[in-house]
Amino acid sequence: MTQAKPFLGFGLGLRAEHYQDILERKPQNIDWFEILSENYLIEGGKPLYFLDAIRQDYPMVMHGVSMSLGSTDELDFNYLGQLKALIQRIEPRWFSDHLCWTGVDHKNMHDLLPLPYTDEAIVHVADRISRVQDFIGRQMLIENLSSYITYCEDAMPEWEFLSAIAERADCYLLLDVNNIYVSSFNHHYDPLDYLDGVPAERVWQHHLAGHTNDGNLIIDTHDHDVIDPVWQLYAETAKRFGPVSTMIERDGNIPELDQVLAELEQARRIAAPYYQS
Amino acid sequence: MSHLRDLQLRFQDYLIDGSRAIEEDIVSTENALAEHRLGTYYNAYRIRLIDSLAVDFSALEHYLGRESFENLTLDYLLHHPSTRPSVRWFGQHLPEYLARFNHAGDAEFVHELAQYEWLQTIVFDAADSPTLVQLEDMAQIGAETWPALTFAFKPAMQWLDLYWNVPQIEHALDSGESVPDKHRSEFPLRWLLWRRDFKTYWRSLEVHEAWALQQAVNGANFADICQGLLEWIDAEQVALTAAGLLKQWISDQLVTRLGDF
Ligand SMILES: [Fe+2]
Repeated sequence: MTQAKPFLGFGLGLRAEHYQDILERKPQNIDWFEILSENYLIEGGKPLYFLDAIRQDYPMVMHGVSMSLGSTDELDFNYLGQLKALIQRIEPRWFSDHLCWTGVDHKNMHDLLPLPYTDEAIVHVADRISRVQDFIGRQMLIENLSSYITYCEDAMPEWEFLSAIAERADCYLLLDVNNIYVSSFNHHYDPLDYLDGVPAERVWQHHLAGHTNDGNLIIDTHDHDVIDPVWQLYAETAKRFGPVSTMIERDGNIPELDQVLAELEQARRIAAPYYQS
Repeated sequence: MSHLRDLQLRFQDYLIDGSRAIEEDIVSTENALAEHRLGTYYNAYRIRLIDSLAVDFSALEHYLGRESFENLTLDYLLHHPSTRPSVRWFGQHLPEYLARFNHAGDAEFVHELAQYEWLQTIVFDAADSPTLVQLEDMAQIGAETWPALTFAFKPAMQWLDLYWNVPQIEHALDSGESVPDKHRSEFPLRWLLWRRDFKTYWRSLEVHEAWALQQAVNGANFADICQGLLEWIDAEQVALTAAGLLKQWISDQLVTRLGDF
């Protein structure tokens, strides 16, 4: 059952570089923060202190990189238990992870590795998402990747794969607009086909980010400003999906808070005409 | 074994050691050779994990230089792929790995530097201690309570024994100050690391304090500690010395509980 889509407004990925600034200034033009769950699966110290303090002032969502939903290893219930404890601690509006695998044979490559777009993978991943949702006791969001390879056995486009899994597992989507742009460039498809191919009512969150382009291949590095074609694609998502909680991801080359906030204002301006009614 | 699992094992083998069987599974065109496309993942895997070690072992990277650091950590990555959900733990075997496989002339120093930096990461995010014993609490202790008094310490406290002047060198490397010459003592010196107000502090311990602290952590009471300190301290001074040590530990915000438990 899909629930009514919550709209949190415009947020940022919380980064240690900005902790102090956020606590001191409590900027009003940030509506919410997304935290990287793994950074807080620790016992104590500075990160958890700032997390709790900032949580007092802002709603949060949790975003993970290690659930390895696509892996053929067993689900890591030790990890999921820690995640559940963190969910209880900060009461996020939702939690998410990626449509990927990160390792097999009890190893972790710490990368978001793509899955082949096959029926076998749909059944496999959807079943695991269902089990995670049962364990945590809430529905989750899954995010599309930037990818650099195509498997020979792919039987459908990425958006069909993503949508089939979301429907089957009854979960929601975190559509990363930059990742759609990057993958459409790398794999030569029309990004609008992607937007038209996903179930609008399941799109609950967007990521916006910058990347690195070597001319032949675009790498999703999160270390630059968002580029114009990605802003244009974001306008197309706003047109199709209506109000969707949107945020900027910045992981490398992290600028002052004000510079990221300026990018967030740009997202607000672009979405505004479509979010009015 | 499922088809998907086979595919993932081939992909992962490629990331770990460059085994090329996975290339058969990847679309390859003139403009986008499978080899090149896969290489993006191969390189990203290495860069990401080496960079994460460079954060935890920043002084080691400075000391060795980026190239040697990369060579060394690439070998480490091959032998100790990450097995934990969080990359935070990836470096946990590096000090021990260096001790076993580094045969350079400064192997002992490098091992000690890595040990010291790893311990800093442990102190950084160890569990908090919401309550700490204050100096005022010490004044409340009645004379009859002292002998059986025991002490609990915060989790964000560690020590290690070092032959080399690693802490001074580490501090200089990380803060960009001029690096003192390396120096090896005849006997190892015990260094205490602890977290206070989210900052990490460090100091060396004299032999008698090192012994007393270890006993106190292991649950010895005040009378036992005084008794043992007689090895270094005159009988008429020993209670005062022990009380002085306790006062120091409390001032350093190391003691979480006093009791006769
Ligand atoms: Fe993203």
